[in-house]
Amino acid sequence: MLEFLVRRVAISIVTLIVISVIVFTGVRMIPGDPARVMAGTDADAAGLEEIRAKYGLNDPIPVQYLRWAGLALQGDLGRSIRTRDPVMTTVARKLPITVELACLSVLIALAIAIPAGVLAAVRRNTVWDLLASGASLCGVSVPNFWLGIMLILFFSVRLGWLPASGFVSFWESPSGNLRRMIMPAFVLGTALAAVLMRQTRNSMIGVLGADYIRTAYSKGLAGRAVIFRHAIRNSLIPVVTILGLQAGALMSGAVVTEQIFVVPGFGRLIVEAVFTRDYPVVQGVVLITASSYVLINLLVDVSYSLLDPRIRIGGGP
Amino acid sequence: MTVGVLPARAAAVPAGRLRRGWRRVLRRPASVVGGVIVLVFVVLAIGAPWIARSDPVKADWSQIRKAPSGAHPFGTDDLGRDNFARVVWGSRISMQAGVFSILLAIAVGVPLGLVAGYYRGALDQVIMRLTDAWLAFPFLILAIGLVTIMGPSLTNATIAIGLGATPTYIRLTRGLVLSTAAEDYVQGARALGAGDVRLMGRHILPNIFSSLLVQATVSVPIAIIAEAVLSFLGLGVQPPTPSWGTMLNAAQQFLESAPWMAWWPGLAIFSLTLSFNLAGDGLRDLLDPKDY
Repeated sequence: MLEFLVRRVAISIVTLIVISVIVFTGVRMIPGDPARVMAGTDADAAGLEEIRAKYGLNDPIPVQYLRWAGLALQGDLGRSIRTRDPVMTTVARKLPITVELACLSVLIALAIAIPAGVLAAVRRNTVWDLLASGASLCGVSVPNFWLGIMLILFFSVRLGWLPASGFVSFWESPSGNLRRMIMPAFVLGTALAAVLMRQTRNSMIGVLGADYIRTAYSKGLAGRAVIFRHAIRNSLIPVVTILGLQAGALMSGAVVTEQIFVVPGFGRLIVEAVFTRDYPVVQGVVLITASSYVLINLLVDVSYSLLDPRIRIGGGP
Repeated sequence: MTVGVLPARAAAVPAGRLRRGWRRVLRRPASVVGGVIVLVFVVLAIGAPWIARSDPVKADWSQIRKAPSGAHPFGTDDLGRDNFARVVWGSRISMQAGVFSILLAIAVGVPLGLVAGYYRGALDQVIMRLTDAWLAFPFLILAIGLVTIMGPSLTNATIAIGLGATPTYIRLTRGLVLSTAAEDYVQGARALGAGDVRLMGRHILPNIFSSLLVQATVSVPIAIIAEAVLSFLGLGVQPPTPSWGTMLNAAQQFLESAPWMAWWPGLAIFSLTLSFNLAGDGLRDLLDPKDY
């Protein structure tokens, strides 16, 4: 167990170092003077010199990388060209909004995927299975930004039930917040629900064929009790892993969903930063996103092995 | 006996298996329908200049935001351009981005995975650690980052999507090579003196081809959606070139007055990706590696 943990943490650290090298190199690949890139087009000679001095842009590249990585480890990712705010402060302001959106979408996805996946497995090769599989296929095929536009068209423009865009903090108005977040969360949750439904179905089919389920039936337990008390709990373990692997897809989905519904979160921040050529923000957001992905999956793998001690993941990539 | 006499494609799809596979595919009419729809989109993409008679780029101020009619079956957009013509021409952009980006991912990913899985050791570790880091960047975020560096255009979006999809092919190829390299026919060819390049090119690659093809049918629809998303965000195809993503971007402003502007490009993306997924399921049945 300890060996697995040490190995997994070591791999994550190596991955994080490689990620930081890629992100650092990425900004330096943008044509032109890196100081100009970081300071923006309006910066004067003094501003450029200040940037060069702060980031040591006249030093050899490896020295520059080590200094940048050191600052990043202390939470200093530079300042936004547009607002002059520290990148970390901007991210800390936007991240909770995206985390709320992601959590709501995971809840919606689980609420759809688990009952549908279980039903499809229990009623295998029936019309229910066919319907669930068809819905899952549609879920992965529908472009979420089009689904978002169609929901706005129907629920906001036609019926006038929900606001088409905008954001209100949950603490300011819980109902206002949920009314504005429900459509983006549904859009973001659809593709995830499709993936989780397929996983739940397959995992449940595997569990339903296991010896202990046959034993439970042979003891005279009712079908419902077997499914709810024995089968579902065990079939959901792989779903945790899939959720971790889908964290990246959620981030990608949040970029476009926040754009459509004008949610001022992390995803919208990166698109705005790209258009304003705010490179420190782009660099910071990409670094934080990739690092979070590595850490989430490390946590998932560790929790996975803790949940089920028989499981010893590892053995290389 | 020389190495060349060995059945280099020993496990390649035999005729009997193909026949059984076809029978299974035909029992799944949805896959057949999916394949036919994909072919229809291929025809639209190739035949766009003949199928769409109206100019998809030129504005017509007398036809602004007209509802679907006989003259304009999909209506017109905010610049009076025929939506049908733009959807048809857009299929060319989508197909181009979807297919070429995945070809790029295969061209980069398969050799790297092949080398990593075949030679193992330190080279494998280096390639796989780089792949892990690569995989940590969410697909769209990586594509956005690359387009930021390279500038927005269809070519750059295609490259960005292709590079975003590459780690999947490295991992898949490596895994397939690890299992294939242990097969008796590969060991036999090695014992008879076949070199590394010959073993990889003649014995391993042909036997993992079907799995790579199945993966490609899964990747192409994802790439098509990614191109549409990048164009929707303004990071892919630039106006006035017709693309389903840019059409949906424009449609957003006119949802109340011209909702048809949003229907058709979205339906086109949905039906093409759904058809690819359905056809991919059929292909998986046809080439099911479990059916040896």
